[in-house]
Amino acid sequence: MTGYVCKYTPNLIIESFGDRTLRIEPEVSSCEIADGLTHPNMCSYARLVLEECLGKHIDKIVLVNCCDAIRRLYDILKAEPSVKFIHIVDLPRKRDVIDRIRFKNEIIRLIESYQKSFDVNFSAEALRNLLNSSVSTTKKEYGDINIAIIGGRSRRSLEKMIEEFGGNVIYNLTCTGTVPPFRPVGSLFDPVEAYADILLDSYPCMRMDDIDERLDIIEEDKRIDGVIYHTVKFCDLYSYEYAMIRDRIRVPILKLETDYTDNSEGQVRTRVQAFIESLKRDSNKRMVTVTGRKDIVIGIDSGSTSTSAVIIDSNKSILGYSIVPTGAKSIESAEKALEIALKSAGISKDDASLIVATGYGRVSIPFANLEVTEITCHARGAFFLDNSVRTIIDIGGQDSKVIRIDENGNVIDFIMNDKCSAGTGRFLENMSRVLDIPVDRMGEESLKWKEDIEISSMCTVFAESEVITLIAKNKEKSDIIHALNKSITRRVASLIEKVGGVKNYMMTGGVAKNTGVVRCLEEKIGEKITVPKEPQIVGSLGAALSGLEKLSDKIDF
Amino acid sequence: MDRIIRAYSRLIESNLDRPELVKSLIRFGLEVGKVWVDHFNRNGIPPSLRYLNSICFQFILEPLRHPENSGFVNLLAPAEILHSMDIYPMFIEAYSSFVSGFYCEDIFIDRAESRGLSGTLCSYHKTFLGSLEYSVLPRLKFAVTSSILCDGNSNTFKYISKSYKIPYYIVDVPYEYSEEAVRYVTSQLREMISMIESATGRRFDIDRLREVIRTENETRGYQRLCIERLKDHSMPNTLTFEMYKLFVTHPEMGRKETLEFFKLLSEDVLKYPDGGYRIFWVHILPYYLYPVQKHLNFNDEFKLIGSDLNFDYLEDLDEKRPLEAIARKLILNVNNGDFRRKIENIKRLVTDLRIDGVIHFCQWGCRQSFGGVMLLKRELEKLNIPFLIIDGDGVDRRNSPEGQINTRLSAFLEMLTGRGKR
Repeated sequence: MTGYVCKYTPNLIIESFGDRTLRIEPEVSSCEIADGLTHPNMCSYARLVLEECLGKHIDKIVLVNCCDAIRRLYDILKAEPSVKFIHIVDLPRKRDVIDRIRFKNEIIRLIESYQKSFDVNFSAEALRNLLNSSVSTTKKEYGDINIAIIGGRSRRSLEKMIEEFGGNVIYNLTCTGTVPPFRPVGSLFDPVEAYADILLDSYPCMRMDDIDERLDIIEEDKRIDGVIYHTVKFCDLYSYEYAMIRDRIRVPILKLETDYTDNSEGQVRTRVQAFIESLKRDSNKRMVTVTGRKDIVIGIDSGSTSTSAVIIDSNKSILGYSIVPTGAKSIESAEKALEIALKSAGISKDDASLIVATGYGRVSIPFANLEVTEITCHARGAFFLDNSVRTIIDIGGQDSKVIRIDENGNVIDFIMNDKCSAGTGRFLENMSRVLDIPVDRMGEESLKWKEDIEISSMCTVFAESEVITLIAKNKEKSDIIHALNKSITRRVASLIEKVGGVKNYMMTGGVAKNTGVVRCLEEKIGEKITVPKEPQIVGSLGAALSGLEKLSDKIDF
Repeated sequence: MDRIIRAYSRLIESNLDRPELVKSLIRFGLEVGKVWVDHFNRNGIPPSLRYLNSICFQFILEPLRHPENSGFVNLLAPAEILHSMDIYPMFIEAYSSFVSGFYCEDIFIDRAESRGLSGTLCSYHKTFLGSLEYSVLPRLKFAVTSSILCDGNSNTFKYISKSYKIPYYIVDVPYEYSEEAVRYVTSQLREMISMIESATGRRFDIDRLREVIRTENETRGYQRLCIERLKDHSMPNTLTFEMYKLFVTHPEMGRKETLEFFKLLSEDVLKYPDGGYRIFWVHILPYYLYPVQKHLNFNDEFKLIGSDLNFDYLEDLDEKRPLEAIARKLILNVNNGDFRRKIENIKRLVTDLRIDGVIHFCQWGCRQSFGGVMLLKRELEKLNIPFLIIDGDGVDRRNSPEGQINTRLSAFLEMLTGRGKR
């Protein structure tokens, strides 16, 4: 078995020798071996491949010098005594006649290297047969919501996730989705030359020089409803394309960045689900069961730091609400929040027609009838409180989001921070411990600032060490907190700019209670930001409103 | 001085909605910088380095003063061809370094990231692309890059080309040396020359290129002489000067000013006897980081002898066949192809220059370099050479944890003194 990673790999050459090939799709989620052999900031995919090869004893590997990370992966694997065969194919960036000749010679070099290593003979006929048997004409059918995935490589689970939420992946144009354009190779043609041409004619990746055709499919196919642009952490090639096309593509686009493991699956699910929710022409048709006697709906927002519940009636009047800290088990916190809210509304659980869950823990609330992402819920909640709002800034315990809505309150775009906690409530909580001040007093304290100091790092860990240095220099607490607020503000302002924020602005989530952060952000963006009376219940209010819409939609429950 | 530069930085930041003004402000700042290095700030600096300071400001200013006669280039673009056509190269990584010197890098990096460019992309490229997004860069006539050293080049230069609607050319450098590879690169150089001719209206003359190559060969002779003399001597040095040398060992190689610098340097080296611990640096240098400056700038105890990027190609070029010679130079650059080529070069330099310790700077986002750092460490351990890894960013101050860097570097230097000189 010979492993490979890149779609430009001439793997059929290896198969023509009777060997099997395997495109390496790492299943490991940590990199104990790889971390000792390379730097932690290497592309996470390359590190995972290294871990997979050495941990699972893949000892024959063919790589392509497709990017800096894979070139270094080759160097590292080559130095490992357990690897029996390793070869790197030099892929030209261009596709002129001279490049095709060069690539054909590269394939011949691979043949010679394999023959020499294993004392076997190459058969042109065997290659021809393999090429001809790879010709395929099947085409995927259109569905209700057609999604194109583009960008760098993506895990197979992403496609499954999209389909699970009701999307139909009509194109997967990532490195892992496309196949070379196989065509029949007649007996008069040199199969090696034909194979070189077929591979070079593949849908070009961002390493190639001429990439103009990459977007042709997306631009020409008017039946595509949305694009998911996927990149791998520390693989920067695709961000150039994203930056160039984000204003050009006519359909909504979601940018996802993952480390190619399951570690960030929760956040990826939220984003994908919210994106598909925003694309649905017909609202969620999922069957739900209504059990209550009255038109009362309960929304529960199970966040990383706090859990809230809101109860509304058919007139959208709030009958009761609660906010409790999220403990070790999200279900227990949800039950507690529900109990307190029911008590404040003076009703019992059986009176409710529908319970809608949102937030990170939404999947873990078994008594909820429906799940809606917090993106949609914050949009619904904020728009209900003030229908002039067009941009919502939600800074919660472990993530920050900026959501843009239209004049009807529909989500038109949104962005979330990556999985790092910089610029979130958790960041402030950490700093409150370092500064020895309760988190709810930080906002007020920061308003007393006098010296304008800078905390340059946005990383929670590095910023903490900067704060410790400032404490050692006897800087005032208020000045340090003000500097922290500015650090958060920079991060959030960048999200606002990325999503193209427009007024009026509303801030939701726990951090909205921190007047220092709100003031800094207002100064940074030059706009007034409205903060609702109770910013922590906007998500659960939105969840309840979403539930009420389901009731009034007269969907066949 | 620091206060003045910060005020100037705030002035730039507050006028970003007026790109023409910011463009003028950046040029004005560099013009003032040149006057400063030419007439002040000279105490205790050897003549060769004073001259280097001056010509580097000249090199960065030339394309700003003459955009109609200039092109964007990367570190390893075949700039000899531009010199032979009297075209000024704008070395984009150097532009970013100067912007960082003005404390403005964060403004441009944030702009690039807000456009969707990755947070983990090299900060040299992001600073440049952010400047492009704010339209504060002059629109030069063309952009040329080679595919080495890193992945960023190809896409950054395409981005420049698309944003400014100017022609672009990438010289794709094969992974391994062969005569076929030389022919392949030579044919691309010819295409590149046609592109430059039509973009600038200037004619390429192979004899002018031969003149440039002759100057380059003469310069290489002095460079090799400097290395020879450095074996028994050491020069006062700073992180900034070592970074400045990237100008003269790369895009400005082949120019008379570069020749003059290496002549002066070869004379200066003889003035300074050997002494102190000899430090060799791998990859770019974080010129602004105080903990590193404190230990290595003009320090008698720890001497910064050199950095590997300035020694990546030292051979003469064949002036009879100049295009083929440039092609060979690109393919045989030690940073192209297998990482072992780079390792062998560093091992040779470390041995020849009697180095006491090696510091590898892992530049944020630079996978081509830090990807192989453990391989290099392993090889230097075999030579019993102490090796330190520092993570940080040569441009973006936010990615360099000063406290941690200070601790790592201080401990390393303490360790060296504990071991004694080689």
